[in-house]
Amino acid sequence: MPSKTSPDKIIEGYLFDDVRVMNAQIPRERKSLEELLHEERPHVLCMDGSPHHFRKRELDNLSRMMTDEERHDLLLPILMEVASDRVEVIIRTRSGADAKVISAVLNMPVTVQDNKITIFRPQLQVIRKTLKTTTQYVFFT
Amino acid sequence: MAAKVELTRPTKIELARLKRRHKLAARIQKIVKDRLSILIMEFLQTVKECATVKERQLSEFREAYKALSLASGYHGSVPLEKELLMSEMAIQLSSGMRNVAGVRMPLFEIDTADPVRSAVKDRTETSSLLDHSTELARKCLETIIELAELENSLELLGREINKVKRVNNALEYIVIPSLDVTIKYLTMKFEERDREEVSRLKYVKLLIEKKEAYAF
Repeated sequence: MPSKTSPDKIIEGYLFDDVRVMNAQIPRERKSLEELLHEERPHVLCMDGSPHHFRKRELDNLSRMMTDEERHDLLLPILMEVASDRVEVIIRTRSGADAKVISAVLNMPVTVQDNKITIFRPQLQVIRKTLKTTTQYVFFT
Repeated sequence: MAAKVELTRPTKIELARLKRRHKLAARIQKIVKDRLSILIMEFLQTVKECATVKERQLSEFREAYKALSLASGYHGSVPLEKELLMSEMAIQLSSGMRNVAGVRMPLFEIDTADPVRSAVKDRTETSSLLDHSTELARKCLETIIELAELENSLELLGREINKVKRVNNALEYIVIPSLDVTIKYLTMKFEERDREEVSRLKYVKLLIEKKEAYAF
């Protein structure tokens, strides 16, 4: 399982100083789609200790658009970085799986630059409408 | 509203501490503002969804009542009531929580919904009309559950928006201006002290020069 063998560097990067308090909703550890599909009640624990459950229907939809390898690579929830000094929202990705999901939801190709997918705020609404439980906000300064 | 100067010890350490606090408050305010805009976006999206689901619910209820009245007309009210009393449906609903920008919202999901089981043995007492109306009633129940989740989320989001707005206003209109004023007051005080020190030194220098001049 990738989330256990390799520490999630993306989450580690978000958590420092006062930003830690404002980002209590981000997961302590992300889980792969494959792992979540095998869980009875798929969930992750947030920084404040509360559980964040995933909608099974959403996971099934994601599973349908992924290959076996991508299911293993896709870590959920997908973290979307919101920063006040930026108009765009950044999604950090380790594999191409995140890009494939975002591209399918937005119904347009997305580019990955330096392991980052850049989307704009109006597109955020479209993503959130489809991926309500499988995406999470991260506030960044 | 004019910001008040927080009375503090006029020391350089205090000034450094205040500057640090100001920087932190400004940084937190940025995040709070971001969070507020995200929460408002989520709220508006939930309102839209709520309206759509409510509309759907109304049309489903209309259909269900129409089917029920047809079944009632066909069977008569007493056998229909008997059938309704003796039928049951098992529904497995799992509830959870989802966290949206720090707001914990309910999540309901229907795992399995068994078909309606009737205890009426006599098949002549049931009909396809009744089956159709029970099917529509089941759909209504699913929509009610969906709507319950959305309306609860809406309420929670609204409450959180109010809370975050208050925090943002407190930071914007009270905390940051008061820190600004206090920092300005302390900076001016130190500048004044520096100026006094310079003039004192000049005076001392003058005295020493005079003393040296008289000595010769």
